[in-house]
Amino acid sequence: MAFVTHFFIRRGAAFLTTWRIWRDTLLFAGRAVLTACAPTAYNSATRTVVMKQIYFTAWQILPGFTLFAALLSYVLIQIVVTTAAKFGLSDYALEVTMRLLVLELLPLITALFVALRSSSAINTEIALMKINGEIEALESACVDTMRLEFMPRVIGGMISVLALTAVTSVLALVLAYLAVYGWQTWSLPDFSRVMGKVFDNAVLFGILLKSLTFGLAVTVIPVAEGMATPRKLFMAPISVLRGMVRLFFALMLIEVASLAFKYI
Amino acid sequence: MNRPTSTPPIKNLELKVGVLLVSTVLLAAGFVLYSLYARGAFHRTQSLTLIAPEAEGVSIGMPMTFSGFPIGEVKRMELGEDGKVRLEIAIPTKDARWLRENSVFTLEKSLVGGAKIKAHTANLADKPLAAGAARTLITGDATQEIPVLIERVKTILNNVADMTGKESHINQTLANIQNVTGRMTGEYGVMEGVLGGPEKAHQVVAALEKANTLLASLNGVSLKVDGVLAKTDSRVFGPEGVMDQAHQSIAKVNGILGDARESLKKADALLANAQSASADLPKITGNVRAATADMTQLRTEIDDSVRKVNHLINEMNKKWPFAREVEITTP
Repeated sequence: MAFVTHFFIRRGAAFLTTWRIWRDTLLFAGRAVLTACAPTAYNSATRTVVMKQIYFTAWQILPGFTLFAALLSYVLIQIVVTTAAKFGLSDYALEVTMRLLVLELLPLITALFVALRSSSAINTEIALMKINGEIEALESACVDTMRLEFMPRVIGGMISVLALTAVTSVLALVLAYLAVYGWQTWSLPDFSRVMGKVFDNAVLFGILLKSLTFGLAVTVIPVAEGMATPRKLFMAPISVLRGMVRLFFALMLIEVASLAFKYI
Repeated sequence: MNRPTSTPPIKNLELKVGVLLVSTVLLAAGFVLYSLYARGAFHRTQSLTLIAPEAEGVSIGMPMTFSGFPIGEVKRMELGEDGKVRLEIAIPTKDARWLRENSVFTLEKSLVGGAKIKAHTANLADKPLAAGAARTLITGDATQEIPVLIERVKTILNNVADMTGKESHINQTLANIQNVTGRMTGEYGVMEGVLGGPEKAHQVVAALEKANTLLASLNGVSLKVDGVLAKTDSRVFGPEGVMDQAHQSIAKVNGILGDARESLKKADALLANAQSASADLPKITGNVRAATADMTQLRTEIDDSVRKVNHLINEMNKKWPFAREVEITTP
């Protein structure tokens, strides 16, 4: 009996911990967005942090990531186009390519790439700041950490994800045109027709919302996880690990939610 | 901010981020504008209403093609009061030139892939199709006939299954044929197959052999018969044969009959004389003696004739094999 009680207590505690972390994360996201919406939050210091964040998250990886995305897109486009041709469904190849790459795969891959590269870094940095007591020191010095440290990273992360998604998506569309129609421009009307069919207002709004949510997740979750790190040095890797797993989970949840919203 | 600021200052940070931001905004704006353009937000369209009995497989945004090129798309579809579907097609004004007054619109469905609305214009010199025109959409559906087809094919397949089943007639027939052909490979070949066993075939062969022997002996018999017939022929029809003699006898009969007629004429004359004689009996009585003499002579002649006839008949009887007892007697 005691074992069962103990089991329930443990399960309950674990659930409460998870619940608390998610709740804190959502609360933090809300506060960050609210802060970002206030024009008074921006000054030269904030802007510098935002720019640095964008520089590290988007600019530095832009060439490599663009190349990778182009390669992946091209391979996938070729697979779709060839398979569709085999089944006599070439008419649908372009539409499938657009939906697959621009609507689903590229935003998700961008978010994952940013998560691996920048979110882990943000998580480690915040965790170390927390462990070293820098956060408390800043707060005791009446520095608004939310405004100067966290919010700029969130803004930078969101803009980075948006920028990378935009670049890779447009590149994927160009590659899709080339793969389907070849090096000529006569098929632009046909391409436009498929474009118009796929990207209606709801879809455009959906991409924007999804990219913004991805950007929010890749910055808010590591910051929240870093802030929740106990002040012990050995907890830093554990904090990063937890943050990454939760981030991955959150990204998948967003993707599934967007798919369900679109197709169900 | 007492964080360690060991990272070296980034060169042209503002410029780089600015370039990235501006290009992102440009790309996003271009993307949105292009998709708006692609959806036809910037070009004028004219509408065409197609009336169809049913619109299964038709969806909003579905293209209408002309010669395989999309020239318009379904903007709206609704079920009319008459139960027919009204499809509103938006056609960009620059593509409307392909549609004429006599254009025909069809809805085609295939097994794989969605339905297709097609426009066909036979004569591009006709009057252009007016904006807002309404036309009938002709639907041709190959898939509708499939259930019927499948039902028929099922029946046929059932029949085939029955025909090819283990207990089917065809199989039994084939087994019988195999049986027969198996027997045909025996000593007596086809005959054994047909008759059902080597013993029976053997009997037939034996019977044939007997028939052969019989035919050989019959041949000999027929040769003999031939000889007999030849002899008969010469005896009957040859010179001095039966027929020849008969011919001669008939000639004699003719002659005898002529004699008999002569005698009968004389008898006639005699009877006439007798009549006249009875008229004057005395005279007759007078001449009785002479008449009696005449009568005697006549009697002799008649007897002579009858004797000749009898002789002839006897002669014939001798020569004719199927004779009857015939005698001509005088009263």
